[in-house]
Amino acid sequence: MTLKKLLYSPTEMEDAVDRMAGAIQAEFPDGNLALVGLYMQGVPLSERLAEALEKRTGRRPDLARLDISLYRDDFGKRSALPLIRETVIPFDISEANIILVDDVLSSGRTIRAALDAVTDYGRPRLIRLAVLADRGCPEYPIRADYVGFSLFSIPENHKVVVHFNEDPEETGVFEMEWKR
Amino acid sequence: MEWKRKDLLSLYDLTAEEIVFLLDTAEEFKKVSERKVKKVPALRGKTVVNFFVEPSTRTRVSFELAEQRLSADIVNMQAAVSSLRKGETLLDTVRNIEALQVDLVVMRHSAPGAQAFIAKHLSCGVVNAGDGAHSHPTQALLDIFTIREKKGCVKGLNVAIVGDILHSRVARSNIWGLLKLGANVTLAGPATLVPREFEEIGVRVCHNLREAIADADVVNLLRIQHERQAAGFFPSTGEYAKFFGINRETLKWMKPDALIMHPGPINRDVELTSEVADGPNSVILEQVTNGLAVRMAVLFLVAGCVKK
Repeated sequence: MTLKKLLYSPTEMEDAVDRMAGAIQAEFPDGNLALVGLYMQGVPLSERLAEALEKRTGRRPDLARLDISLYRDDFGKRSALPLIRETVIPFDISEANIILVDDVLSSGRTIRAALDAVTDYGRPRLIRLAVLADRGCPEYPIRADYVGFSLFSIPENHKVVVHFNEDPEETGVFEMEWKR
Repeated sequence: MEWKRKDLLSLYDLTAEEIVFLLDTAEEFKKVSERKVKKVPALRGKTVVNFFVEPSTRTRVSFELAEQRLSADIVNMQAAVSSLRKGETLLDTVRNIEALQVDLVVMRHSAPGAQAFIAKHLSCGVVNAGDGAHSHPTQALLDIFTIREKKGCVKGLNVAIVGDILHSRVARSNIWGLLKLGANVTLAGPATLVPREFEEIGVRVCHNLREAIADADVVNLLRIQHERQAAGFFPSTGEYAKFFGINRETLKWMKPDALIMHPGPINRDVELTSEVADGPNSVILEQVTNGLAVRMAVLFLVAGCVKK
């Protein structure tokens, strides 16, 4: 039996997203910003964050979805090829206030790739990072600006998985063992 | 699905699922060429050798651009300046290329099966850029990509391929790819160039143009090579154009929204007139654009399966 432990419930996730929205609102009171969700779980998270921001500011931020598989640094090292998903950026990146949104910050390598990917579309005014769970074990000098949960004590051989699902039973932040 | 091939040799080898996966991947790569920065770092640090034992301009340029847009390093080799001229065997030549720690070889060769032969002996990936009259998988993939993009699907479509089927690797690759995806294929042209034997693989053979294109959703015209006339396969290009050329009049035999395709280079007033080549039904230049996306997808997928 592999380990699957619920760390945070859907309600706790909602509260965390709202806290993050509050922190973002404090920095961008006029709501002039764009959320860029990273596949897979960063995309639904960015949508929830956009809703929370709209409730607070009355203005819905621009939303984009970014696939970073062509920018990864472990190409050919993984057993399976990444599936390329559709990048959708329906606004001009140039001079925009961009907030990258991902579910879990771990090594920081995904964010490194995302920085390269997003700047290929233009030169933003600034880029910030929002993550629901920060594991605090970066291999690159990358830190999150808005964090839902700090999970610094999860052992390295375990992973943190975020699920957004219609079914509340399946939604949550989970601690799981890596399948070998 | 998961891509597992280090070589792309022929569409005959692929499953329908693999072909669809390639086309889906190509859709995302098409967007790379529409961006401000038309380049992604996916193949950074990989080396690709374009080894063209048979002359080619458009396919080679398309592959080269695809490689550059994936950030690969490129070496171009042509038969005229290679050691094949000095008596080295093909296998020795490619083994020497591989000894330089190359990741992929894109090869065109006049001998059918040449790429399959070297792929068996090399650990680097091999992409077939045309082997004799046998196979030209990336051309067929870009044709099918264009059809799918324009028509929304491939299954159930009627596709007529008109011209020199006998000597055409483009036709063979298209036939395999289209049949696997559930299209109905009709081959048309002079009886000398479109033998009845093709019926055995599940296509319709037709020696009358009107009959061939009447219900077609797509008409793919193949280049007529002048040397075939010298070999006696048809009396003159003028006669070919009279019976099998697409012009303002014969265009009316087709469905109004039928696509006109051609792998290029086109012979104006032989396979088709300028009115048709430059007209609203023609997607010939879009095929070229899509070729780049398809080749990026192929290179990306096979490179990911080369074990180092």
